[in-house]
Amino acid sequence: MEQTKGFYDFCIPYNNDDKVLRAILNELLELGYKTIAIDQSYDHSKKEAVKRGAEMFPEPYSIEHLRKEFSGKLTILQRITILYVDVNVSHAMTVSLNLRKFNLIAGQPKTDAALTHCCTSFNGDIITFDPVAGSRLLVNRKSYQIAVRRGMFFEIKYAPAISDSNNRKDMIKVAQNYFTKGKSKNIIISSGAAHEFQLRGPYDVANLSFIFGLSEDQGKNSIDRFCRQLFLRAESRRVGKTIMFVKSKGPVVFSDSEESAQEDEEMDAIATDMTDDTENSPENKRLKLA
Amino acid sequence: MVRIKNRYIAVQIVPHTPVKTLRLNDHTVAKCLLKYVEKYYGVYALGILEHGFRVKYCNDRTKIAIIRCLHRGQRYLSSILPLITLIGDVRAKFRTLYVGATVIQCNKFIINHQRQFLDRMMGQTASAKERQDLFKRVMELDVDR
Repeated sequence: MEQTKGFYDFCIPYNNDDKVLRAILNELLELGYKTIAIDQSYDHSKKEAVKRGAEMFPEPYSIEHLRKEFSGKLTILQRITILYVDVNVSHAMTVSLNLRKFNLIAGQPKTDAALTHCCTSFNGDIITFDPVAGSRLLVNRKSYQIAVRRGMFFEIKYAPAISDSNNRKDMIKVAQNYFTKGKSKNIIISSGAAHEFQLRGPYDVANLSFIFGLSEDQGKNSIDRFCRQLFLRAESRRVGKTIMFVKSKGPVVFSDSEESAQEDEEMDAIATDMTDDTENSPENKRLKLA
Repeated sequence: MVRIKNRYIAVQIVPHTPVKTLRLNDHTVAKCLLKYVEKYYGVYALGILEHGFRVKYCNDRTKIAIIRCLHRGQRYLSSILPLITLIGDVRAKFRTLYVGATVIQCNKFIINHQRQFLDRMMGQTASAKERQDLFKRVMELDVDR
């Protein structure tokens, strides 16, 4: 399983300038974040309708050199934010191959209908909203409940709230709406900071969540445990159904060693297909194939 | 006997552009904090917080301060610390290091924190004299001024 450590910051906007991005990452490291996601936004609504089956989503930016530089210190994930107005996006998402290269998928609905769709059937992990355009979109109770049941997470960004008082008001309004509609369940807080001066330490963020109507527990979890849950969910969506093999370290006594050895060979063949993060150890376990 | 519960918040002041000293003293920091509390929460929070509020310690070279406030009003203060971008007339932000119930615990934490910082910086200095200077600069601490 992919290992991640707290604290998490799931929204660092991508910057073309390597120097700026590196400064932000260094600051994040300094503040004590361990897992971050670099965000790339994509406006679906502006695109003309292209023919079916065509790739619509962009390739993820190459950040291999940053990964290498910060390996062992920061886990860098990639995330795409899809801005959209209608439900056509869901078809494009199912056929897209590029989308699977991203670790996290966030939806940013622009209309009420899109927001409802986002909560009920969007194939992503995060629901976010535009901090600049104001807070005309407020989620209603029913779709909020559905989204919570599906394990989606709502995102609050704090960097715009720091820099501008109008944004701050809107952000508080949206966050308090989450509180009224469903006791602020499933909320994560991320930065969305374009400059390293806008970043705050994890404990500061947890304290800041007081004005967003979150309790102390929720505030801490919103940068730690919920993000872990979110990551696991995203990973399971990306990898799909996976067979896992459990390896025992101590000696295991076989009752019928020949039979199991044969079965193991079959399992081995399957396991090679399922690559990624499964640990395949075809020894000494009898598995029943369903 | 009624016990008065205090909270001591140890903060680090991180300036926008790196400078040697900040030219801030306890009074400026205290005044600035109360001003922000009034700006964000209004007079109600100010009334709760003002009694027992004090900046116990402010070192403008290590850029660390300890703020004391009553336990009741602590959240009003800690929740707006991240929103502050201007302290006195310096562009800077607060970084909460530790929240403790006694000043001794805060002190312990700060010493530990500075020691860690020192360990990181020691490797980068060249001469022994520089190293001594750095040591003096980083570990300068006297709470009971």
